Amino acid sequence: MRNLSALLLLGAAFLLASLDLHSQAQGPAQPTPEQRAAIDRGRTQFQQACGFCHGPDATGARGPDLVRSALVAHDVNADLIGEVIRNGRPDKGMPALPLTAAQISDISAFLHARSKEAVESSGVPSDYPFEKLLTGNADKGRTYFEGAGGCGKCHSPTGDLAGIAHKYNSIELQAHILYPDQKPVLATVTLPTGEQLCGTVSHIDDFTVGIRVGDKNGWYRSFPRGKVKVELKDPLQAHRELLPKISQTQMHDLFAYLYSLK
Amino acid sequence: MTFSLKKFLRPTLAALLLASSLLPLRVAAQGLDPAALLKPPTDIWPTYNGDYSGRRHSTLDQINDSNVRSLTLAWAFRIRGSVIKSTPLVVNGILYFTTPDNVWAVDARYGHQIWHYHRASEGDHIGQRGVAIYKDYLFFETPDAHLVSLNAKDGTVRWDVPLADGKLGYFATMAPLVIRDHVIAGVSGDVTDIPGFLVSIDPETGAVQWRWNTQPKPGEPGSETWPKDSDAIRHGGGMTWMTGTYDPALNLLYWGTGNPNPVLAGDGRPGDNLFTCTIVALNPDTGKLVWYFQPSPHDVHDWDAVQTPVLFDADFKGKHRKLLAQASRNGFFFVLDRETGEHLVTEPFIEQTWASGVDKRGRPIAKPEATPTPDGALVSPGSDGSTNWMAPSFDPQTGLFFVNARRLFSVYYNTVTTKAEGWGGRDRILWANSTIRALDYRTGKVVWNHEIGDGESIAGILTTAGRLLFTADNSGNLLALNPANGETLWHLNMGGELLASPMTYQLDGRQYVMLPVDNVLYAFALPQK
Repeated sequence: MRNLSALLLLGAAFLLASLDLHSQAQGPAQPTPEQRAAIDRGRTQFQQACGFCHGPDATGARGPDLVRSALVAHDVNADLIGEVIRNGRPDKGMPALPLTAAQISDISAFLHARSKEAVESSGVPSDYPFEKLLTGNADKGRTYFEGAGGCGKCHSPTGDLAGIAHKYNSIELQAHILYPDQKPVLATVTLPTGEQLCGTVSHIDDFTVGIRVGDKNGWYRSFPRGKVKVELKDPLQAHRELLPKISQTQMHDLFAYLYSLK
Repeated sequence: MTFSLKKFLRPTLAALLLASSLLPLRVAAQGLDPAALLKPPTDIWPTYNGDYSGRRHSTLDQINDSNVRSLTLAWAFRIRGSVIKSTPLVVNGILYFTTPDNVWAVDARYGHQIWHYHRASEGDHIGQRGVAIYKDYLFFETPDAHLVSLNAKDGTVRWDVPLADGKLGYFATMAPLVIRDHVIAGVSGDVTDIPGFLVSIDPETGAVQWRWNTQPKPGEPGSETWPKDSDAIRHGGGMTWMTGTYDPALNLLYWGTGNPNPVLAGDGRPGDNLFTCTIVALNPDTGKLVWYFQPSPHDVHDWDAVQTPVLFDADFKGKHRKLLAQASRNGFFFVLDRETGEHLVTEPFIEQTWASGVDKRGRPIAKPEATPTPDGALVSPGSDGSTNWMAPSFDPQTGLFFVNARRLFSVYYNTVTTKAEGWGGRDRILWANSTIRALDYRTGKVVWNHEIGDGESIAGILTTAGRLLFTADNSGNLLALNPANGETLWHLNMGGELLASPMTYQLDGRQYVMLPVDNVLYAFALPQK
């Protein structure tokens, strides 16, 4: 129950302790090269010293899951994690581990990075591999494009869609195939005198319609809906009609075909 | 002139008795006796939904279908820094409303500030739905998952207790519900794998009276719907995001719960995952589960079943029944017998692509191909749902249930590369539009449809005995519709969005309708003579 814009402050609790709190509110902060190196060293160290009980990715095995651990969530600069590593938890069967302060600091950086990954799994990744989406059959996609999908009525693989796979990342390509960016809706407004004005819709609701006469660069005029007749032509109407009809297989086939146009 | 005490007392006593029977149950001079919640008078709006039923229907009719066109602005109150998503309470002529970290007390007649409380906190500031009131005390939940009690008179803090550990990803947005001497409070958070719960707090001391956990303990009923030999059940979910409803005669508390975690990656938690995405009936004195119904078994789409469980008594197949209806985020309308939990109606209230049918227990059956996958699954509705937290309404005059519904398409990705934690994926929203719909509660069929435009509306709905339905469209217009047929009776372009659910009250013979737009409260009324 949330929207994408709302994830930011929560992330503050999970981000690396050395980062400034105010920069976190701007969006998920990326680790610096030094932090990245510390996380990588920490992963190796963790897998060697801790992975047997806590799992190599820290999601738990014999020992508890440390990705959603209260201790890790409250840890600042390895203060709590360090204490557990140095002293162990004899009552729970965890031995004390003879690690250096630098090693403990790296392990801590790795654990905080794992928590951050879990938090950020709620975002649409921008670097998602194309290969993951290439499960369809390009030939079948072409058949669908030219036939049942009706795509060829408006689009051309050598025209507007040439090289389309270069324009977007993987998930955005998938999204734009299914529903492209909004294009101006065209309107024909018939006035009580019978005069007709054509243009692009600037605003429309149940009560008023505002158009730019001619094209999107024309002058704005508005009319009460009750006094005029309005006919609309939405260039995306075919996409709206496609969404409830296209199957998962057809979608993946179409993606494979349009990806091949690069 | 002789004075007869007997003569004087008799009619006076009679008048007093008559007056006391007519007077509202308000006892405390300034605050609110919880007994008033059983049948709120029209000069107060004492709970998030106005009363225990969740109907969002007012018996006020001064503003009605014959005069709504002359509606005018009585006052406005602007805040800075945040939009208003709360429903105000009105008690004793004072209006209390909230945003995350903030509570205001405002003169409900004239719109002047009485006091403002601010408490800076970490945590998710996605929204704040409002306060609860008990006697002279307010109860307010915070982004770091605390429950704060304030003195209603001046906004000073009585106590401040943590409900959950904010560092783990818990936060709180909902308006608590007062039942006698219980303050029922829920919690939020689904970005991390944490278990949901509902808690009853002593209004005097802040002490916990009982706690109901969304996930049963191993061996308890419901635990069989989670995998054995794994820690899946401890990954939790099932947040108690929104204010529930209450039937005083049955002494049952009704509450909806949110999605299981990891949210979109369900491979590690085969089974129905009770009591997530579930409507539960609890004993408000003990927190014990009495019955449950699960609108979305094994949810993998973030379709919290936390929409208001609306209570009304009505004829159903020739029998007068105590009903509970929910228009759920998964796109289905459910009607249950609220005494027993018996399922009566399951019907989609908007087009959807994820369910192939309904099982014999009345639960939608998910198509396997609607499950989020690494290469994407196109599904309607998207994770924001066919409806969401905005209030529905039931109007006893027309017998219709109203919901703000969406057509919403998304591609859902399961992006997990190791063991899933958190969301484990996300949906990319493609397109949405919104509509206000009237449903026949007996069948779930759409009686009328009023399109409100492209986008995802979060405008709530209020109906009144004045034969009016208040809401808004996606173009900046506030709307009053005819609840019988959906026709527009009044509209006003406010240049912003209704992001809350409207409410109404009457003071000194004047009815006010509260329609917040973005960061301004607007109180509308008829022109004063």
